[in-house]
Amino acid sequence: MPRHQFDLPSAIRLDTTGLAAKGGYTSPPLTPISPQELSGAQPSLQAEPLFHNYLRAFHSFHPTSTASSTLTDESITVPINRGDVILVHSIHANGWADGTLLTSGARGWLPTNYCEAYDNIYIRNLLNATTQLWDLLRSEEDGDLSVFVRQDYIRGLIAGVRYLLDQSRCLHREAPLVQSHVGIRRLRKSLLNDLSCLVKLGKRLQETLGEVYAEEVIGVLLDEIVLKAFKVVTRAVRFLDVWAQDNAANNNTVPKRSTQIAAPPTSLTNSTSLTVIIDSPRGSRSSDREFARAAREFSVVSQGCLFRDAAEQTNTGSTPSQTASPFDNARSIWPDTSRLIQSGSNPDLRTRKGKRTSVLHRVSNVRTPGRDHTCNLASEHLHRAHDILLGCFGSFIGSHLISRQPSELLTATEQSAKACQDLLNVIEKVWEHDQGRSAQLEQARKAMQMRLTELVKATRGLFSVSTDAEGAPLVLPSHEKELVIAAATGCVRSAGDCVATARLVIEQIGDFEFEEAGQGIGATIFEELQMRDLQERSSDPDSNQVALMPELIVAPLVVSPHRRPSVTVSPPPQPDLRADRHTCDGSTLEAPVVTAVTSLTDTRMDKIQMTSQDLAKLTWFRLPTLTEIQDDAPCSPDSMSKQSTSSPARKFSVGISMTDSSSTYPGSIRDSEHSLLSRTSTRATTPDLVPAHYVSNSTDPALLTSFGSVSSTRSIVTDDSTDDEVHIMEKTYAHELIFNKEGQITGGSLPALVERLTLHDSVPDPMFVTTFYLTFRLFATPSGLAKCLVDRFDYVGENKSTCTSVRLRVYNVFKRWVEAYWQPDADGEALEFIQEFAAGKLQARLPAAGRKLAELAGRMLYYRPGASWLVSNAHQIGVSSRLENDRFAPIPNSVITKSQLNTLRSSRIGSSTCSILDFDPLELARQFTLIESRIFCAIRPEELLATTKKSGSKAANVKAMSKLSTDLAHLVAETILSLEDAKKRAAIIKQWTKIAMSCLELNNYDSLMAIVCSVNQSTILRLKRTWDLVSARTKTRLEELKSIVDHSHNYAVLRKRLDSHVAPCLPFVGMYLTDLTFVDAGNQPTRQLQCAAAPADEQQQQPLTVINFDKHTRTARIIGQLQRFQVPYRLHAVPELQEWIERQIHRVGANDLDCVQKLYCRSLLLEPREVPAAAVHEGAAAAAAAVVMPASRLQTSGEQRAEVAVAAAAREKFDLFAGFGFAALAALKERPTGSV
Amino acid sequence: MALGVPWTQFVQGVFIESYDPTIEDSYRKQMDVDGRQVMLEIMDTAGTEQFTSMREFYMRDAHGFLLVFSITSMSSLHELAELREQIVQIKGGDPNVPIVLVGNKSDLEEDRVVSRSKAFQVSQAWGNVPYYETSARRKQNVTEVFVDVCRQIMRKDLNARARRGQAPEREYDTRSSRRRKKSRRGNDDDDRYDHRERRSRCTIL
Repeated sequence: MPRHQFDLPSAIRLDTTGLAAKGGYTSPPLTPISPQELSGAQPSLQAEPLFHNYLRAFHSFHPTSTASSTLTDESITVPINRGDVILVHSIHANGWADGTLLTSGARGWLPTNYCEAYDNIYIRNLLNATTQLWDLLRSEEDGDLSVFVRQDYIRGLIAGVRYLLDQSRCLHREAPLVQSHVGIRRLRKSLLNDLSCLVKLGKRLQETLGEVYAEEVIGVLLDEIVLKAFKVVTRAVRFLDVWAQDNAANNNTVPKRSTQIAAPPTSLTNSTSLTVIIDSPRGSRSSDREFARAAREFSVVSQGCLFRDAAEQTNTGSTPSQTASPFDNARSIWPDTSRLIQSGSNPDLRTRKGKRTSVLHRVSNVRTPGRDHTCNLASEHLHRAHDILLGCFGSFIGSHLISRQPSELLTATEQSAKACQDLLNVIEKVWEHDQGRSAQLEQARKAMQMRLTELVKATRGLFSVSTDAEGAPLVLPSHEKELVIAAATGCVRSAGDCVATARLVIEQIGDFEFEEAGQGIGATIFEELQMRDLQERSSDPDSNQVALMPELIVAPLVVSPHRRPSVTVSPPPQPDLRADRHTCDGSTLEAPVVTAVTSLTDTRMDKIQMTSQDLAKLTWFRLPTLTEIQDDAPCSPDSMSKQSTSSPARKFSVGISMTDSSSTYPGSIRDSEHSLLSRTSTRATTPDLVPAHYVSNSTDPALLTSFGSVSSTRSIVTDDSTDDEVHIMEKTYAHELIFNKEGQITGGSLPALVERLTLHDSVPDPMFVTTFYLTFRLFATPSGLAKCLVDRFDYVGENKSTCTSVRLRVYNVFKRWVEAYWQPDADGEALEFIQEFAAGKLQARLPAAGRKLAELAGRMLYYRPGASWLVSNAHQIGVSSRLENDRFAPIPNSVITKSQLNTLRSSRIGSSTCSILDFDPLELARQFTLIESRIFCAIRPEELLATTKKSGSKAANVKAMSKLSTDLAHLVAETILSLEDAKKRAAIIKQWTKIAMSCLELNNYDSLMAIVCSVNQSTILRLKRTWDLVSARTKTRLEELKSIVDHSHNYAVLRKRLDSHVAPCLPFVGMYLTDLTFVDAGNQPTRQLQCAAAPADEQQQQPLTVINFDKHTRTARIIGQLQRFQVPYRLHAVPELQEWIERQIHRVGANDLDCVQKLYCRSLLLEPREVPAAAVHEGAAAAAAAVVMPASRLQTSGEQRAEVAVAAAAREKFDLFAGFGFAALAALKERPTGSV
Repeated sequence: MALGVPWTQFVQGVFIESYDPTIEDSYRKQMDVDGRQVMLEIMDTAGTEQFTSMREFYMRDAHGFLLVFSITSMSSLHELAELREQIVQIKGGDPNVPIVLVGNKSDLEEDRVVSRSKAFQVSQAWGNVPYYETSARRKQNVTEVFVDVCRQIMRKDLNARARRGQAPEREYDTRSSRRRKKSRRGNDDDDRYDHRERRSRCTIL
């Protein structure tokens, strides 16, 4: 049997990594004999290979009882008692799972065939929250504790408990069930007490984070929090058991076994690790007694815990007689139960088909950055391979962007291709592993293969060319470069898709390990591509064991939640090495343990200092080299593969940080809880001795931690428990929120979002608040929101301590809404309701606030849409700061002369004319900018929102904006085409180019866009004679300008420029409109609330559909980007010039409908087309028709006649389409700004 | 009705929980056309319909167009006539610009206003451009539409080369691996839905 290196599943999971250093690299024991087999029953059949995050023991397992061959001296098993709930980290193929007992925090191997999957809709929220907490802690190792500041994790747990109580109708103390049932009442109370402890711990953590000494104690606090969370879950499970049994008893008219239930059923939790060596004698004695008592009670109560639900119990036909001998009962009724409960499919992996890999792992939602890549998990491989791929492609693309040596290019290309291959290998393995053979994954993989082929093809050409020019920097033709880069981008993109899909699959089937890392992925990636990382390592043969010994199934280390990142260590290849380690285990380890233990009792302070030092050192080492390990053994945490000497450092840190906890808070909560902690920590330091203590430990008094003791039912902090109960029982919708990795809200139900908006203890993220105000009409009706707010106002009343602050916040939300975000048309429907609320409920509680809100709402009654905005600034997205360029810089002087002004004035009365050539291009650009800026700054967010919806009519300023730029474009064309002389036309083009350059200087991209577009339209471009007269310099400039506003690559250039700009600036509004449209179209309005990974099919409640807040956040962000630039320009206005410009624009824009066609005809007249060879189609016919018209006639007969002619030509064309006729023209006319 | 979701998903290839249109790759799509890998760069002008002067700028370097109307709105088809006119004009009067006429929302048969024969008539009048009826929501024919326009572009490219007297086969083969297409579609709105007409272009560089 392959040996597995395994992070020691020691007494307490909180320091598992440290324990691993002690040489406890153990394989799981041999396949345990299932209770069914013992009793001769059929082993339960594996329904489907789904991974369950939580298991529950239905049969006790003590290593001694299964004795036989399973226990080598290296297997660290955790004894489980019936009813224990286990958080599973991984499942080995032989049926053993690496899990953490929630009851004790102990971690180790346990037999899965003694367990069933544990999942219940009532408690699922809580379980999920706990898993998340665990993962969160694991990811916070690198010191990013920001997540903990906002306490979202605690809220999840609270919501979970609340949900459980709510579902079980035990939420209120006055609930009939709680009143009548002693057991439930007690359990409920202790559950709440534990929860309140947890909340306190969370608060303390929050406070501590700000302190100077935070680093030293943070670990301890986090440990405490996890333990506490586990304890809460344990309580909740027990509560549910009793509740279910009670229900069953009631429903079944089975005589109520009230005595049994009334007995404190705490003993379920009495299992703990066997690794306890050192304990205080006092504690041992007391727990001994407790154990004896608990054991008796256990046999009685455990009956209930077997059943997840009352209905099931009745279905299985359980009778009172079964209580007599729970263990027998368990055996006899189990098969039924397991069949009944689909989700209870025993993950007995032996029954799985084929050569499935050895260990399945729970997939953590939180990715640990910088985790050591030698970890052999599929998800890790996936992640690593993807990382490497991204890195490779980064340099690949980079080296193509700047000219490089061909050899470098070659390497980059090879590396990229290899990285792709490796990723594909990983994907393939995942796919193979998935019995469902995910079609999606297959598809993604194929797509990626295609792209890779494409890339290889694209680059092959390059190298065949470049080989002969060895040494010379390779300069590729730009289009080829583009092709290669496009291919590379494609690869990266499809790789991303692949990884996402594969990850989904892994989540479903459980994370697993790769069997041979020697071939393919392990070798290639880790050795070849990560040269830098592995340089030192590769010098040592042992460090490459993963690659060298494919026959080994490498077990991962158990990942400690918040110590250093996990390190997968392969077993030593040589027997003698192993022997060496054994001796280490035996002897070398003893000493440090003793030191650690003694240090606990006497010189605490010294050790604490040492700890911090050690910890500091520990964090230094990510990839320690072998030499480092040997030289500096005591501080290298990752040397576990064989350096048992390194473990003392770990042990120190662990043991002492625990002690620290009790010494730092000696007075506050000095209770069994803490003594437990210190005990467990010391226990944790001596895992090697476990086997020897199995027999005695099964009854060892030290086993009994306070978790299991009856006394723990009583509150640890009894004095203020009632207070906390109130606090915790606060109604909450926190479980209806979805967060992303950054902690931002991506989804939630309306009540949950409203609650978030009005939290009593923290101010929500400003982005969230602005998004909410700005977009709530997209996901709720105004009256719906108002009702929800009032609900919040009402239900918070249950809670005395927080109700005032929350109610104030509710009032503030109303106030801000009415004051700053009120939209009379849309929100009018809610006005009456708000007034009623203000005058009624609000005034009753908060008189001043009520009056104020009533007054505000009253004012809104007479609000006229045309009236000026009350607080226009409030529309600004808070996050985007309004930066202004040189606020105090002097305003540049206008470049305009007296005579120019005079000409302008006289032109108004028609006595003279002027052309754009008469003015300075910079000044023209400035005045354009001022005109546009006025409109741009007036754009309100709701206009932008409206553009994605039907009601386009609201978007007055947006429309004005687009009309202005369209008109400007027409003006450009018109000014060019109005001149007969080609030379003059060329001069005008030059002048517009200069104006465009000035626009660019002024960051006026909107005008720039209009000018560039206009000059580049076919009407102008086709004027060959004119362009021949345009200077090369002007043409180059135009090309430059064109590349800035180029729309290819999704306006990549323009976006990049805009990113770095500060206001004032006039961005191209159309781009934002497109973005908004596609955010709206490309994101679903709702999303599903995630449920537990393990689907318990028939009991699965419908996943809750909540608002996809992420979509709205994106919308708000885009609007925010636009608003960032809504700052008036600091330029002198020249009214005369502006007036002239506006008149010109108006003149051109007045007959918008025919403008384009007219200009095109004009263009044809000026420079007639060389007669087209063949192809007499409509367009050509139209052109011909226009050309045929005598030029003189067109000019002399004035606008009107020209229009008629054009219209006739157009009609002719449209008549070609059967049935279209004037309908087409009519349709065009409907378009408000249509220009054809 | 989030009609756009499947379209954007077509570009994305897989279902994505969160779609960000502001990133560069939002409108790029690789696909297989008759065994060749092509890269489509899709330009969708939805939202900028009012910026009519930009339209030509968008169209100029596109190589193929999808003209999409809603079968539930006659006016959306009529608007396409104008667009098609402009495309032909911009392309220097070339009547063989790769175009595909697309009648979208074929799942809403009960609301159909534009009959199939009517649409077909239009497509005939435009020089026999292919006509497809799609349902973006049901993902029917979406890929086919893009494949068709790509095919037209490739054929046109091949002909152009042949006319220039180059050895078409060889030239095509050596360049095919570096082929990239640009395509664009634009959206407009009709009355009933979030309505859209799309034009798309594909380009071979």
